[in-house]
Amino acid sequence: MQMDLNFIAFVMMGLAATILSGVMITRRWPVSAAMVLIAVMTLLAGMFGLLEAHFAAVAQIIVYAGAIMVVFVFVMMLLNLPPEELRFGGITWGEMVLIGVGILAAVFLGTQVGQGLLTQGLESMGVAPGQTPAHARSLYFAPGENVKNVASTMFVDYLWAFELVSFLILAAVIGSIVIAKKRSADNANAA
Amino acid sequence: MLTLPELGLYFSFLLFLVGLAGVMFRKNILFMMLSVEILLNAANLAFVSASRITGTIDGQVVMFFVMAVAACEAAVGLALIIALYRTKASIEADDLKALRG
Amino acid sequence: MEGTVGVVTQFLDSNIGVVATLGKIALALAIALQVAPIMVWVERRQAAFIQRRIGPNRVGLFGFKLFGLGQPLADTIKLLFKEDFVPKQANKFFYILAPIVPAVMGLLAIQGIPLAKEIVVGGHTINMQPVSLNAGFLYLFAMSALGVYGVALAGWASNNKYALLGGLRASAQMISYEIAMGLALLPMVFIYGTLDLQAMIAAQSDSLLFGVLPNWGIFLSPISFVIFVITMFAETNRLPFDLAEGEAELVAGFLVEYGSMRWSLFFLGEYAMMFTLSALTTCVFLGGYELPWLSQSELVALLTPVFSAEPATWVASLIGLVVLLTKTAIFMFLFVQARFTLPRFRYDQLMRVGWVYLLPLALVNLVVLALIVGIMRLT
Repeated sequence: MQMDLNFIAFVMMGLAATILSGVMITRRWPVSAAMVLIAVMTLLAGMFGLLEAHFAAVAQIIVYAGAIMVVFVFVMMLLNLPPEELRFGGITWGEMVLIGVGILAAVFLGTQVGQGLLTQGLESMGVAPGQTPAHARSLYFAPGENVKNVASTMFVDYLWAFELVSFLILAAVIGSIVIAKKRSADNANAA
Repeated sequence: MLTLPELGLYFSFLLFLVGLAGVMFRKNILFMMLSVEILLNAANLAFVSASRITGTIDGQVVMFFVMAVAACEAAVGLALIIALYRTKASIEADDLKALRG
Repeated sequence: MEGTVGVVTQFLDSNIGVVATLGKIALALAIALQVAPIMVWVERRQAAFIQRRIGPNRVGLFGFKLFGLGQPLADTIKLLFKEDFVPKQANKFFYILAPIVPAVMGLLAIQGIPLAKEIVVGGHTINMQPVSLNAGFLYLFAMSALGVYGVALAGWASNNKYALLGGLRASAQMISYEIAMGLALLPMVFIYGTLDLQAMIAAQSDSLLFGVLPNWGIFLSPISFVIFVITMFAETNRLPFDLAEGEAELVAGFLVEYGSMRWSLFFLGEYAMMFTLSALTTCVFLGGYELPWLSQSELVALLTPVFSAEPATWVASLIGLVVLLTKTAIFMFLFVQARFTLPRFRYDQLMRVGWVYLLPLALVNLVVLALIVGIMRLT
């Protein structure tokens, strides 16, 4: 019963997220698109919660919906853009066919090759398909330990990646300030 | 019946398709960036689902890195949009053809 | 008749989890919905007191004046019967949605506050925190982060220059101060080693600091406390940080096109968020529902001879709830006092306070406390 409720909720959230993202890419007003995208992100956070990744769910809302999207909305309001005319032109039939072939190839790769790789990987860990590794289960699903596990993995196994990402953020901060800065008069003359 | 994480992978695929369509069909840079956010979110969903399937926590850790990169992308991209709007008074991708011969 | 009672008891016994959760959510909602009317009255009375006026003291209930406590009721009735009006130039959907967002987020956020220690009913232990997630108080942050969209949306959907400026200011301010707020709370997380508010409260009451002071967060990390309280004002858009409204220069900012019940929904959300953040401060820095020198477990042990074992936990929890509300009320009082004492910041001053003073201070505080805690763990 519990499982079924989770399943139904997950399917509803996934469908809603997919449909809403379709709605998002067809909006004319940037701010409406941003609001729909926030709804999509919140739904995804709910899906993460159902996958028992509580920390990921909360971070999704705080960082994505609460910080990144606020910056988007801020810039949209700052520029105060007029609604854009929807133009879906410029795509020829040949390109359409190519896109279709690409999607089919992606489906094939995802369902056949990806599935195979996943099964192979799980077998190398000594796990039958559709099962969860026993040792991992105790680590991953221990109640109340999700945050701790994420933190210990991030700061032990992925320490270098973490430090590199922090440098990336620093570079992005400096870069965005330099790009967005108003050029003073003499600066503009020199350029 | 599919398990939740497998379903998550399928939904991530669908979301990715929608986001890709957004990037390809919209001409407004702001909308293209929003669509890229959908792409990154779809990747996040795939990572978390995979983390649940294999029963390891690594997928969730990678999700945090994706999030940090998304934040960088948003900061730099929006700064570029502001600078562009200041010089060109337009953020249509088709108007950016100064380098076209 | 007896059969009915038996069925009811059996139903309660087998579904205790669901019933308890619904009960807790209802209790938290009841508290959150009471905050706004009471605070409106407190705010008006206190303003009058500071400005040497009398303030609303006429409207009473059943012929008693009660210091004007009937005023919020009269206000509500007035607001409900005012004309509900959508400006022609506004984006209708988002104009209607905007006030709902902060109200809903405020009411959701309050569910993450532990109202009391667990109670025991019929052998079942019930945790008195309505939403108890693994990620702890980050849930509160998530809800408060989503609350800003109400203001931003209202500013945009009103299609009015003043409103747009208000929305812009609100979103910039929220982002700037959220960073300092998170960094102020981070030291508390590694001092207590948990994100769970109830574990934090337990850690604060189980020992004494230097044998005299209660082991509260405010004594362990006073700088965090100060930064957190300052950012709390900014996050809830209260004076001296209410640049988004700014009656003097923006007429009323994002609220300029709003009236009647929609206008008051914003305030329902604002007061609920004020209450939630005050309660969060109480839980992290002031020991939450615990009395200073007498922890809840000791209280239960004291009360058990007087009542029997189970009612003792109920009485102790009730005392805990009163203690929590009292401590929270101190912060609410501070909010009102600051509003009528301090002048409003200028916008560049606001940004400078956030980025140049609070953020580096929070970072230094974080590093110093991390070193201290690290050395103490090693020895």
